[in-house]
Amino acid sequence: MSDQPRTSAPPEQPASRSLLMQPGGWRLERRLYTSPFREFTAVVSAIAVSVLAGGLLVALAGAGVVEAFRSMYDGAFGTWNSTLETLVQATPLIMTGLAAAVAFRAAIWNIGGEGQLYAGMAGAWWVSDLMPGLRPAPLLFVFMFLGAALAGALWASIASVLKAVYKTNEILTTVMLNFVMTSVLSWLLAGPWRSPHTFYYQTERMADVTFLPRFFQGSRLHWGFAVAVLTAAVVYFVLRKTSLGYEIRGMGANPVASRYKGANVGMMIITVMAISGAVAGLGGAGELLGLHHRLQMDIAVDVGFTGIIIALVARLHPLGVVVTAVAFGALVNGSTAVQVTTGIPAALVEVIEGITLILVLLAAVAARYRIVRPSSAHG
Amino acid sequence: MNGRPMTEQSAAGSVILEVDRVSKRFPGVLANDAVSVAVRRGEIHCLLGENGAGKTTLADILYGVHHPDEGSLYLKGAPLEMSSPKDAIGAGIGMVHQHFEFVPPMSVIENVIIGTHAKQWLDMGEARRRLQELFDDYDVRIDPDAEVGRLSVGEQQWIEIFKTLYFGLEILILDEPTAVLTPQGVDQLFRILRQMRSEGLTVILITHKLNEVMEISDRVTVLRRGKVVRTVNTAAVTRQDLARMMVGRDVVFTVENEGGAPGNPLLEVDDVYLESESGRGSLEGLSLTVREGEILGIAGVSGNGQNALFDALVGIRAPESGEIRLGGGSIAGLSARKIAALGVASVPGDRIRQGLVMDFRVKENLILGRHRSRPYASWGVLRRKPVDDFARQSIDEFEIMTPSASHVTRTLSGGNLQKVIMARELSRTPKLLVVHQPTRGLDIGAAEYVRRRLIQERDIGAGVLLMSEDLDEIFNLSDRIAVIYEGRIMAEARPGDTDLQEIGLWMAGITSDPAAAGAAAAGGAE
Repeated sequence: MSDQPRTSAPPEQPASRSLLMQPGGWRLERRLYTSPFREFTAVVSAIAVSVLAGGLLVALAGAGVVEAFRSMYDGAFGTWNSTLETLVQATPLIMTGLAAAVAFRAAIWNIGGEGQLYAGMAGAWWVSDLMPGLRPAPLLFVFMFLGAALAGALWASIASVLKAVYKTNEILTTVMLNFVMTSVLSWLLAGPWRSPHTFYYQTERMADVTFLPRFFQGSRLHWGFAVAVLTAAVVYFVLRKTSLGYEIRGMGANPVASRYKGANVGMMIITVMAISGAVAGLGGAGELLGLHHRLQMDIAVDVGFTGIIIALVARLHPLGVVVTAVAFGALVNGSTAVQVTTGIPAALVEVIEGITLILVLLAAVAARYRIVRPSSAHG
Repeated sequence: MNGRPMTEQSAAGSVILEVDRVSKRFPGVLANDAVSVAVRRGEIHCLLGENGAGKTTLADILYGVHHPDEGSLYLKGAPLEMSSPKDAIGAGIGMVHQHFEFVPPMSVIENVIIGTHAKQWLDMGEARRRLQELFDDYDVRIDPDAEVGRLSVGEQQWIEIFKTLYFGLEILILDEPTAVLTPQGVDQLFRILRQMRSEGLTVILITHKLNEVMEISDRVTVLRRGKVVRTVNTAAVTRQDLARMMVGRDVVFTVENEGGAPGNPLLEVDDVYLESESGRGSLEGLSLTVREGEILGIAGVSGNGQNALFDALVGIRAPESGEIRLGGGSIAGLSARKIAALGVASVPGDRIRQGLVMDFRVKENLILGRHRSRPYASWGVLRRKPVDDFARQSIDEFEIMTPSASHVTRTLSGGNLQKVIMARELSRTPKLLVVHQPTRGLDIGAAEYVRRRLIQERDIGAGVLLMSEDLDEIFNLSDRIAVIYEGRIMAEARPGDTDLQEIGLWMAGITSDPAAAGAAAAGGAE
């Protein structure tokens, strides 16, 4: 499967370098080829183990493990409404997860999902501010989402143009641009965009016509979730079925060969980052128009970074991102419930997220090796 | 130890290293199948076989890199159990790999003693004295304090060998050591190996080159598809015999070549300068012409500008100055995509790194570079059927051995990887074909096929620029031979008007007038 990123050493140089020795003749040997099924099993096992590890931490914190797990489950999926709320939590994570997955597939390390998400929020808000009278409403939504995508893409382009032209390390620039975005936003909210009617650094509440419709009465689940799932499907299609996606995967797997066969690496960097930034920006618009309805600081904290973890846990697969994001959304809601019922701090989520990431990455690597027993001939 | 097979009638030395029915499995391949070899003390023993015959696997087992799944090793009659190269070195076995690894900015002496954990204190003076002694013994002129990065490839290889001598090892394994050398460099290497033999050391030489086996070995073990065909005394066989054992049938060493009918100039390279990224192998005013229906063979030791020339021709890097014209129009500085669209196809020297995306399916690699254009894509969406059809057709025509078109490219053998590239590049009937090392590492059958295809392309009017370090190939295929040395064309000749010796001297930067040749003999041509 060409989706499997970098599975093993090329056949012409057998395992000589990647061999780990064990005493007693037991050894790890790199597989020539790792089947997708094996990798999937490894990842699922890793997630199972990290759940157990979470339980252990709960026990260490002095709470009843069964009770904690029960309230975690109840908080995440216990009722119809908590299930919907889990999807609400998952919505922006799907988008930042997809944003990271697209870029990582091309081996471009966009760590700036957070800033691009905020840029998208700002873009959507700006459109609504510039053309408040635009009707019919669907057209207004199209423009607001376009504005968000454009803003996210443009913000990401700062890093990609620097990389394409000056070969700047995008990890550094995208991380730093997150901080810059925070500053830009606080300037906007303190100055030009600040609502004259409130004491806080925030904009005016948006007109009702800009509110994304909700699926069910009494639940916060909004159309942003549908946008997220649709985006995942589009990203999947683009990566798998289009020339552009082919080139993205090719560049991620072997940039040198891609260049020899005509890929314009600079253009690709800019294109991929623009897509990645646009997806994160759309996620920002969803949050703004679906939940918050006004621009504020700190309304999507760490969503960009969690998206990176999600992308990695999902092995950069767009549909896997949706599943993983829902699981992480459940974790967020579940742990809040755990805190309420057992008093264990909700920071436990971050610990479990971290453990999951580490175990999944380890499992994905471990799946590429096999254990070789000492040969029986030597007794 | 019951019934260990003694393959031979005894001759010179006693058996020092014995491989007894060793098998080694990799996913999907039985790389070594009950292999038994007995290596005698003080002999040069060749392991001969095509690519994929299991020679390198066997060598890796002898050097402790791989552990046999079945079977045993015996060193001087005692069972030998190794779990890493460290154990091999401890047992007195050293190895020079195809791609030797150095710390380039460090000196020769530092590179030799690197990894010596035995002593707490490094006595550099003592180390230098001992190494100098060894160099003197073997009549090798290298300054122990020279920076390794500045030495020639041949000299770097000697250092690997002298490491073995320095540590007092008894058995030296060399994996395809001549791939990077000029003919004269090969002579020097063989001289050193012979001297090692005369001092009682044992050399195991892995190669697929029959000439080398005939020239240097005492005995040779032929491997085919993971099995030992036979171990024979070299003196008792001919080149043809060995080839038959190796391939399992009679082989032709040179493909039939009637010669081309060169037409108008197709590719003109005029005084091109291009600095290489590593600083080595820049183009320094290179000029050449390839005509339609002609194969121009470029001979040269690697690192003399071949990579830069390839990159400039296919549009990876723009020349700093000079002109490149294709059919009269300038292509210097055009993008790789544009140059390809003008009818230039290319087969890069490093097929895994430059030619293929190993994680792609075979069919995906077959359309690499054309994934944006019809019939493989329309409106930016890949079209399954044309891609599948083309893949099936290519796999049939080029006899690519793969379980299916959707298989991951990584699992293919070297010869089949090259066939994937050839199928892709030749499918558009290119005007100009730029090929670099097209048969390196391929088995005889695949190499023969690739060469035939190159001739076929020329016969239908394509110009072919063939860069190769295999001089037999250059002589066999070329209508004209040009020698590249330090970034320019040193000399040119028709294959009938020159010989290996002369080309070898040109490759070393020595012109054929007598005075210069004398200087070469004195200076060591490398």
